[in-house]
Amino acid sequence: MKPHSSAFFLLCAAIGFCSQSCSAPEGKDLAIRVRCAYDPESLNPLQLPNQQAFDAANLLHVSLLQADFSKKEIAPALAEALPTAELVGDSLTRVSYRIRPAATWDTGGPVLATDVAFTLKLMFCPGVPNETSRLQFGFIQGLIPDPHDPRRFTLECRGQGTEYQQATGDFFILPEAALDPQGELRRFSLAALQRRPQNAPDSGLAAVARRYRALAPGKLPGCGPYQLTAWEKDRYLAFRRKANWWGSRLRPTPFVLQARSQKLAFVIIPDAATASLALQRGDLDIFPQMPAREFARLRKATAARPALSFYSVPSYDVVTAGFNTRRPALADALTRRALSHCFNAAGLLQATQMGEGQQTVGIISPLDRQNYNDSLAPVPFDLAKAEALVRQAGWQRRAGTETGWVRTRPGSKQPEVLQVSMRYRADETTFATIALQFKAAAASLGIAVSLLPTEAGSFTTALRTSDFDMYVRTLKGNPFMFNLAPLLHSRAIGQSNTTGYSGAASDRLLDAIAVAENPTRRAQLLRKFQTLMQAEMPWVPLFFLPTRIAASHELTGLHVTGLKPGFALTAVERSAKSTPTP
Amino acid sequence: MVWPLLRRLFRTVLAVWALASSVFLLSRHDANTATLLFLPDSSESVATGNGNAADYAAAQRAVQHRLGLDLPLFYASQQPNAPANTAQWRWNGTQNQYHRWMVRLLHGDLGTSFRTAQPVTTRMCSALGFTLPLTGTAALLAVLTALALARRLAAKPWWQHPVRAALVAVHALPLFVLALLLLLTFANPAVVAWFPAYGLDQLAADSDNWSRTQTYLLHLVLPVAALTLAALPELTLQLDAALTQELRTDYATTARAKGLAEGAVIRHHALRNALLPTLTQVAELLPAMVAGAVVVEVVFALPGMGRLLADAAAGRDYPVLVGGVLLTGAARLLALLLADLLYFWADPRIRWQS
Repeated sequence: MKPHSSAFFLLCAAIGFCSQSCSAPEGKDLAIRVRCAYDPESLNPLQLPNQQAFDAANLLHVSLLQADFSKKEIAPALAEALPTAELVGDSLTRVSYRIRPAATWDTGGPVLATDVAFTLKLMFCPGVPNETSRLQFGFIQGLIPDPHDPRRFTLECRGQGTEYQQATGDFFILPEAALDPQGELRRFSLAALQRRPQNAPDSGLAAVARRYRALAPGKLPGCGPYQLTAWEKDRYLAFRRKANWWGSRLRPTPFVLQARSQKLAFVIIPDAATASLALQRGDLDIFPQMPAREFARLRKATAARPALSFYSVPSYDVVTAGFNTRRPALADALTRRALSHCFNAAGLLQATQMGEGQQTVGIISPLDRQNYNDSLAPVPFDLAKAEALVRQAGWQRRAGTETGWVRTRPGSKQPEVLQVSMRYRADETTFATIALQFKAAAASLGIAVSLLPTEAGSFTTALRTSDFDMYVRTLKGNPFMFNLAPLLHSRAIGQSNTTGYSGAASDRLLDAIAVAENPTRRAQLLRKFQTLMQAEMPWVPLFFLPTRIAASHELTGLHVTGLKPGFALTAVERSAKSTPTP
Repeated sequence: MVWPLLRRLFRTVLAVWALASSVFLLSRHDANTATLLFLPDSSESVATGNGNAADYAAAQRAVQHRLGLDLPLFYASQQPNAPANTAQWRWNGTQNQYHRWMVRLLHGDLGTSFRTAQPVTTRMCSALGFTLPLTGTAALLAVLTALALARRLAAKPWWQHPVRAALVAVHALPLFVLALLLLLTFANPAVVAWFPAYGLDQLAADSDNWSRTQTYLLHLVLPVAALTLAALPELTLQLDAALTQELRTDYATTARAKGLAEGAVIRHHALRNALLPTLTQVAELLPAMVAGAVVVEVVFALPGMGRLLADAAAGRDYPVLVGGVLLTGAARLLALLLADLLYFWADPRIRWQS
C-alpha cells in the first residue's frame, strides 16, 4: 500500500469513528439537560451563592411556600395552605402555618414544626455557614408550636407588613433528626441564638456545626423530589427523581410539587456560542437566558428551527442607570432629570435586546397592572429638553474656547463643572452599549462623560463605597415583593441605598408601603412613589429585560415566565409529540 | 555540578516563597470585596429586610470570622487611630493570618476554598487531572511537529514560503478565534459534526471502559488541536530561523564540502546549536501546562486549572488563587532551572558561573 493511500484510509477511518461517536446521545441518556454558565459552587441551603445554586437546591429541598409558575402566584408547597397573618400591637406580626400531613423525609419520618424550628435556629448557629439566611430571615424572632398539633406552628416576626406572609415561607426546611439527633439546638430559643456572639463557646452547638459542615456537598438530606446523583465540579450536576417521593402521592398533585422528569442535569457550559452549538446538536435540551442576537439568529435559521422551540417573555429585571446624589453636581433633581433625557431607551432596547423587553416608568414591571403607574410616561430621549433643564438647574455654558457647563453655588467661590463618570460591569455588552449611547448624547450637549468599565467584584465594591458618579446595572424584581426600603430609604444609605438618595417624603412613602394593610392601599402608595421617583430621578429605569429560552421541541411543560430561572424545571418532561412555538 | 545545582534550587525555593507571600499579603488587602461577594447584594434586588446597616455589618463580621479574615494580617500591624504619644505599631504574635497560612503550607495544606469550602489541594489536583493531559499532549505534539517541520523547512523545499506564510497567519490569530473556528467548523451540524462540542463526556455513566476512552479522546481532539496550533508557529518559525542561520556558518559549509547531504548536516551538526533559543521556549511551556489554558477551557467547557484560577480571581477565592500562583510560580522557576540544565546539555561551553 502506498503511503498516500494509507493516509487516506486512516483519514476515512477517523471520520467514520468520529461520526459514529459524535452523534447526539439519542436514547442513551434520558436526562433533561439544562445549560448553566457557572458551577453552583455550594448547595448549602442556608448560604446559596447564586441562581444556579438556588435552582439546584430547589430540586433537593422544599420550602413552605413556592412560586407557582403556571398561575404566577405564591402557592403552598410544604405548607398545607397559604398562611394566615395576625398583627399584634404595632410592632409584631404572627404568621401561622400547618405542614402537609403527607410530607415526609426520605427515612419515612414526618416533617414537623420541630424541623422548621430547627432550621430557623440553624440559621443562627455559630460555626455554620449561614450569613445569607441570617440576614434574610433575621426578622423572624420566634416559633410558637401548637401544643395539640405537631405540624401547626406560628412564626413571630418583628415589624408589620403584608409581605411577611410570603417572606416567612421562603426558606428550605431541614431535618432535625438527621442533623441534630441529640437535640442540642433545643436547649436554646431562637431569640437567644440571634443574640449570641459568634465566638461564645458551646460544645453542643459546635458539634451541630461540625456535623453540618462535614456533610459532602449536596448530600444534605432534604424532602424535595430529587436526589443528587453526581456533581462533577465545573462540568455537570445530575439528579434522579426519588422512587417514593411524598409529593407524588398527593392527588391532584399541586403544580409546585410536580416532578415529571425522571432525570435532570445541569450542564456547565460557560461560553454561549458553545452552548448554542450543543443545543443545535441535541446535546442540550434547554438554554435559558440565551443572548439576544443568537436567539434571533437561531429563530430564523432554517436548519435549527424545526428542532427547537423559542420563548420570550418580559422578566422582572430592569436595567437602570443610577446617580450618586452625594456628588454636588448631581445633588439636585433638575440636573438628574436633564441627564435622564440623554438615554434613548427605545433605541437601546432595539440595539441590545432586538426590540424585545419593555420600556418602563419605574422599577415596578408594566406586567403588574395593579401597581404599575400607567399614568406616567417613560422618560423620552429629548436633548432639547435636557439642555433646557440643565440651564434651569443653574448651569451655564463655559465662555471662550473651553466647552462644557459650569455653575457657582451660593456661598461657594469654586465653580462646579458638569462632568460625570459612568461605571458599569465590563462583562455586559448591554451596559457598554448604554454607556456609549449616553456618552455620545451627553457630548452633543457639551457634557463630558468618562466611561469606567469595571470588573464585577470591583463594581460591587465601588458602588458600596460610592466610588462613582453614575452607574448602569440590572435591578432584580419579582411580582410578590415591593419592599423598596433597602434600595432607597435613608436608613440604608451607606449600605444598600447606593444612590445615597434620601427625602422625608420618600422615606414616609417607603415605610407606608412596607406596612400597607392591603394590596389596594399598597398599589396607591406604589403609584405615588413612582411619580415621586420620576420627579426626583435618583435613578433612570430604562427597560425590563426579556427572558429568552430556547429548548428542544421534544419538551413540554416549560411554563416560561419572567420569574427566575424562567421556566418550571420540575414540570418539564420529554414528550414524543412536539409543542408548537408560540 | 551538584553544589551549583543545589544553590540554584535553594534560590528557586526562596523565590517561590517570596512570590507566594507577596501574593498572599496583597490578596488580603482586597478581603473586603471577598466578604461583600459572600453576602447577597441587597442593593440590586427587591427582597425582605429593611436595609439596616447594623444587620449587614454583623453578617459581614460573621463571614470574616468564619473565613479567618478577622485576625491581624501580619506579625506586626500599624494602628490607624493610635494617639501621637503611643506606639504606632502593634506586635500581633503568631495569631495572624500570614503565620497560620505559612504553618499550614509547611504541612502541605493550602487552605480551604472560600467559595466551595473544599480543600484547595483537592480542587487543584482535580483540575490538574483534566489540564495536564490536555496541555501536556498539546505541548508534546507542538514540540515534535515543530522539530519535524523546521527541519523540513530548513532544507528549502518548494512549499517553504506558503507554509511559513500560513504559520505567520495562524500565529496572528488570537487563541479564542482559533478555538471558535475549530469548534464552529468541526462540531457544527451546519458544517461537519465530527467532534463533540463541549466537555469530556455525555453523562452516559453506564458505558464500558473502551467507550469511555473513545469518548474522552474524541472530546480532547479539538482543544488539543487548538492549543497545538497556537504553540506551533512560534516554535517552528524560531527553530527554522535558527537553523537557517546555522546552515550559513562555516562548519555547515565544511560539512557539506565533506560530501554530507543537507539532511545529515541539519540533523548531525546544525540542529543542536539551533536548539538553544527553542529550549527557552520549550521550558516556557511547563508553567503554561500547569496553569492551564483558560480560553480553550472556557470555549470547550473543560474543567481545568485555567478556569479554576479565573473563577477564583473573579469570585475573590483567595486561598485557591494563592495556591494556583504558588504552583504556577514554582513551575515557572523550575522551568527556568530546567532551561539552564538543557542549555548546559546543548552547549557544554556554557558554565554555571557564566
